[in-house]
Amino acid sequence: MADTKLVTLKINDRDVQVPPGTLVIEATRRIGTEVPSFCYYPGLSLQAACRMCLVEVEKMPKLQTACTLVATEGMVVRTNTDQVRGARKAMLEFLLTNHPLDCPVCDKGGECELQDMVFRYGADTSRFVEEKIHRPEEKWSELVYYDAPRCILCFRCVRVCDEGMDVKALGVGMRGANSIIIPNREDHLECEECGMCIDICPVGALTSGTYRYKTRPWEMTYVSTVCTHCSNGCKTTLSVRNHEIMRANNRDLSGINEDFLCIKGRFGFDFTKHPDRIRQPMVRKGDKLYPVSWEEAAQTAATRLKQVYDAGGKDSIGFIGSNRTSNEEDYLFQRLARATFGTNNIDHHRTADYTGLVTALGDNAVDSLLTMKQLAEAKAVLLVGNDPTEQNPLAAWQIRKGIRHIGAKLFILNARDIKLKRKATQFVKLVTGQEPAAIRFMAHEEGQLPSNLVEQLVQVKAALDAEPEVAIVFGAEVAGAAIAQLVAFGSKLHGKVRYMALGDYANSRGAADMGLLPDRLPGYAHIDDSAAREGFERLWGGVLPSKAGMTAPAMVDAAQNGKLKALYVMGANPLSHFGTLGFGRGKLDLLIVHEMFLTDTAKIADIVFPAASAYEKEGSVTNTSGEIQLLHKAAEVMGPRTDFDLLRILSHQLERLGLGKAFHYKTPAAVFEEIRKAVPGYDVQAAGLLTGGAESTQVHVAKNGHAPYDVPVGLIRSAQDTLFTSGTLGRFCTMMESLPEAEAKP
Amino acid sequence: MELSTQLAARFEKLQTAYPFKRSALIPMLMYAQDEYGSVSDEMIAEIARRLDLNNVQVEETLAYYSMLHRKPMGKFHVQVCTNVACMLRGGNDILERAKKRLEIGHKEVTEDGVFSLEEVECIGACTGAPAMQVNYDFYENLTALKFDRIIKELDGGRVPPPEPVTAGALHAREPGETPLISRRWGIKDSRKIDVYLEHDGYKALEKALKEMTPESIIDEVKKSSLRGRGGAGFPTGMKWSFVPKDSPKPKYLICNADESEPGTCKDRPLMEMDPHQLIEGMIIAGRSFGAHRGFIYVRGEYRYVLDIVEAAVVEAYAHGYLGKDILGSGFDFDILTHTGAGAYECGEESALMESLEGKRGYPRIKPPFPAVVGLYGCPTIINNVETLSSVPAIILEGGENYAKRGTPKNGGTRLLCVAGHIAKPGIYEIPLGMNMKKFIYEMAGGIPGGKKLKAVIPGGSSCPILSAEEIDIAMDYDSVAKAGSMLGSGGMVVMDETTCMVDMARRIMHFYAHESCGWCIPCREGTSWLKKMLDRFHAGYGRNEDIDIVGELAKNMLGRTFCPLGDAAALPTISIVQKWRNEFEDHLNGKCAYKSAEALVGSR
Repeated sequence: MADTKLVTLKINDRDVQVPPGTLVIEATRRIGTEVPSFCYYPGLSLQAACRMCLVEVEKMPKLQTACTLVATEGMVVRTNTDQVRGARKAMLEFLLTNHPLDCPVCDKGGECELQDMVFRYGADTSRFVEEKIHRPEEKWSELVYYDAPRCILCFRCVRVCDEGMDVKALGVGMRGANSIIIPNREDHLECEECGMCIDICPVGALTSGTYRYKTRPWEMTYVSTVCTHCSNGCKTTLSVRNHEIMRANNRDLSGINEDFLCIKGRFGFDFTKHPDRIRQPMVRKGDKLYPVSWEEAAQTAATRLKQVYDAGGKDSIGFIGSNRTSNEEDYLFQRLARATFGTNNIDHHRTADYTGLVTALGDNAVDSLLTMKQLAEAKAVLLVGNDPTEQNPLAAWQIRKGIRHIGAKLFILNARDIKLKRKATQFVKLVTGQEPAAIRFMAHEEGQLPSNLVEQLVQVKAALDAEPEVAIVFGAEVAGAAIAQLVAFGSKLHGKVRYMALGDYANSRGAADMGLLPDRLPGYAHIDDSAAREGFERLWGGVLPSKAGMTAPAMVDAAQNGKLKALYVMGANPLSHFGTLGFGRGKLDLLIVHEMFLTDTAKIADIVFPAASAYEKEGSVTNTSGEIQLLHKAAEVMGPRTDFDLLRILSHQLERLGLGKAFHYKTPAAVFEEIRKAVPGYDVQAAGLLTGGAESTQVHVAKNGHAPYDVPVGLIRSAQDTLFTSGTLGRFCTMMESLPEAEAKP
Repeated sequence: MELSTQLAARFEKLQTAYPFKRSALIPMLMYAQDEYGSVSDEMIAEIARRLDLNNVQVEETLAYYSMLHRKPMGKFHVQVCTNVACMLRGGNDILERAKKRLEIGHKEVTEDGVFSLEEVECIGACTGAPAMQVNYDFYENLTALKFDRIIKELDGGRVPPPEPVTAGALHAREPGETPLISRRWGIKDSRKIDVYLEHDGYKALEKALKEMTPESIIDEVKKSSLRGRGGAGFPTGMKWSFVPKDSPKPKYLICNADESEPGTCKDRPLMEMDPHQLIEGMIIAGRSFGAHRGFIYVRGEYRYVLDIVEAAVVEAYAHGYLGKDILGSGFDFDILTHTGAGAYECGEESALMESLEGKRGYPRIKPPFPAVVGLYGCPTIINNVETLSSVPAIILEGGENYAKRGTPKNGGTRLLCVAGHIAKPGIYEIPLGMNMKKFIYEMAGGIPGGKKLKAVIPGGSSCPILSAEEIDIAMDYDSVAKAGSMLGSGGMVVMDETTCMVDMARRIMHFYAHESCGWCIPCREGTSWLKKMLDRFHAGYGRNEDIDIVGELAKNMLGRTFCPLGDAAALPTISIVQKWRNEFEDHLNGKCAYKSAEALVGSR
């Protein structure tokens, strides 16, 4: 913006320089002067309805609303004159006439914008002696309650639901002083249940079914961490009382998601206190699992692993990691496999082909991986596969934001009529599985496709070619060679092209980045890259195996046919849905599982360790766009331990038995320090992370003979979670499960 | 849902009539209600489906408009006006009579479902006060006897013929009157195109299309110093010249026929008796700034007027005055008539555009002004019925001649409706600049019953009220402004010495509280608070401090609301508190001797 001439205006006798088009209210905030407002909300359409931001402007006879007034050269604004203060006081007096003043029991008491403003700008007495308008409170859904008398009609909720969410579930009923907010289905809501309306409400008019009347804001502590559900990495601030999570929101607008959270981020935390949480280690004796002491469980695990190792050799053991554990835990997990047991039989449930993308981009990856912020800033978006509204809600929010704010164009190639279709400039309907063929055509104009499809793809190509910036976003439908072709297509476009692969879970990307892959070390160096191996050998001791190991489905199959003797599962449920030869533990001699709940895999395990959730630990996770953020421990649940602890304990036990070296990291932060040094692309600035921000990792691989890269069909598989499901965790999110919308979804 | 053939056909037509489908929403709701008596959930879903809307978008729009109902009203929906003009002439007595006679209250339905009753705001029959509407039919100059007779007939299943013409519109012309735009009133079938053509009809259009350029039309209107007759008095020619010439977007002309300023009923006879004059004015206006489509937004209550205008539009198409290549000039112009659904706020130009787009009638942020960003985001000019109806005369006699009829900067004639305590209530066409006192006492016959004049609302209830001592002024925009009020919409309401000004303040505030759209805090909460306070005060439960609070609250609204409705509520209130403070004090002392307050004070 260097070539844009700034505008200078005077605010309270201070010169302020702002870019042209800046609103006066933003200009005042720039110099730390508060001009109060209720209806003004950055990012939403302007209203000028609450009249709280009235300011004096020289040469204008009437007070002006700072929220709609554009700063112009030489403008003289005063925000603190008698007239302005009088107007604010008057507005607050008007507002309080029908407001119930039930602050002592109102959820919002203590963090209410109206309360704060009356405290700062209001009158000290009330002159209103008439009867207030009363209406009974309404329950709109399990999650959303509406108390009309408290409502100050700032219409933030209506706007965020319409403009932000594109759900349009809220409207305004009646008129004048009787105006109320109305839900879309007579007396109830049918929507995405994101709860944005609750959070954006400046007063206690919209309250949360999970939080209301439970506690007071000042009784809680606030822990900002990363949502543990989908792969988008929204920052969520957990409000905690007595080690228990009471609610989640992101009112400080920090993080890549700013104020956005979907239903899972906002309400999906109750699994932490689900009665089915495993709270003690268990060891199988006969056909039952019995609770045992930590000593016994750890001892048994180490001893039996050693037995299998001694009898069957390195590759008789397999490791399947998690999509939700932290980078540090994943890093230790693969170290355990590779350095302690000397096997590359390590993998996880892959929901997006990050390896494929990084490989296809090669050295260009550093500059070509799209961040969430860039997704909202791109002039054009090509979306192939996936249903971001359901599976990647922040990505969908960012796409809508771009369309709303900078008129971004959205092009969709999808086999389903996804919700984003109605925002699309062009929607190309494919048949299931046609994505690679469509991409191949776009890249090389090869292949047999129906002529009407060809026509549409040619149009999309031409439209994208005319854009200065293109974001290409794709789901699990595009993997392996198809990604290489997508990148080939992108490289032919005139504009700057960046890519984002959409995975499923909170640390799907981190799992891949940390090398929970049978053929890749942390940072994607191929396992046969001796220099890369040596680097890790120096850190961990021992010799790392150079031959690629088994993939997760292959391991499950090997368990069935007896080629694998032991399986170590950390936070995954592979034996119920991976593999082609059938499910269950097959001919395994030993099955060890870290889990929060007794999943199908845990139920049939020999040893089960109770694992802490992401909300109960420190560490870091990497979202699907490669942005790393820190987890912070919010809840304290009796019993479980973090996977970091579990792996550390086990490593010590194994060392005593002569297997590998014990892990001497005292904290996850210490592991992270090693990751920063050892994993290419992870040497991110610590400052940003420590202040609660996200830092972009810069992973890339040199084209070392392994591109083009392809993956077997079915290895990359999205679980197709919806807004109301979240893999295993979702089944234990009681509130989410109870919603009628969740039932309506397949 | 299954619709009658007629309604289905109406829907089909409406759905495709507008540049954007959603615009059909309010008319669809109105016509659906006409047939079913109310709007059901199924109907909401049906309309939503037809217009590609969510149910909640239909519901919120519906909920805004006072004429639309979710629950069935009676077969005969009796709507008694008690707004200022009617109140002064016994509107409250008629309402009481209605309650007794029908044995139901406000918004209630008789057990047999035949009648329902509603106390309504100004229905635009001020010169025929007290008045009511039964469904869309007007009955004016009511007495208890006349009311009973109407109800009796309705009860027997016969609909008594409604008043054929706005009461007070037709009267022997006073010597001081200068009929120009009302000159065809009273001619038999004046609304028919043949009659219009016999009386100079469409001559101005011919002149404008054949002899004038768009620029010269605007120049002529500028020379005429025609100022907006809706109330604000903005110079019309200047407004037209604001439309950007190079805009690639279509340009629109809207005729604001949402006449609802209490005390005003001049647009109704203008459309009722001379719809072609309006149509002609619109085509000329459209020509001047390059609009090819005009809308006539008629308030929902004026359904019979809408039907008349619609018929005239059909005639104009048939005669080639509307449509493609008008009079061989190459100029195309289409007109669409559109019904409102009961909302004073929609008389505000930007709220009207929202309403015309099928939304709640919330005003828009200005700038941008409609001439640049208006209907559907396109350059739009909105003019009042009387303004547009004056255009043919200006073109015919020339701007300068027209201007000479009035005073400098206040060109031409204007229609003045005078109602309330006046001997000859009616609609008069007078030159701008006529003396108000002279008008009241000489032309309108003065105050009946030998009573003394107390106060005058010069141009609709939004104006500061003038006391008897303040009316020796010229009635043009500037002189009335100098006297501290506004010429406004031409709705003059006269109050004699028996009028209780506290009651007047109370009634005025009721109106604005009812009509506040609810968008901005000061208007929404201020009008509601003041209404409650004035109710209490008038009922005899006032406190000394209340008098000052009323004035202060009104001042707290003034100039701080989103749109002028807040000012409209504040200005008359402030003027009453200032000029008739003694009456507030009398109330406190239980000494209010005025008839209208007697019962209330006595009941203390």
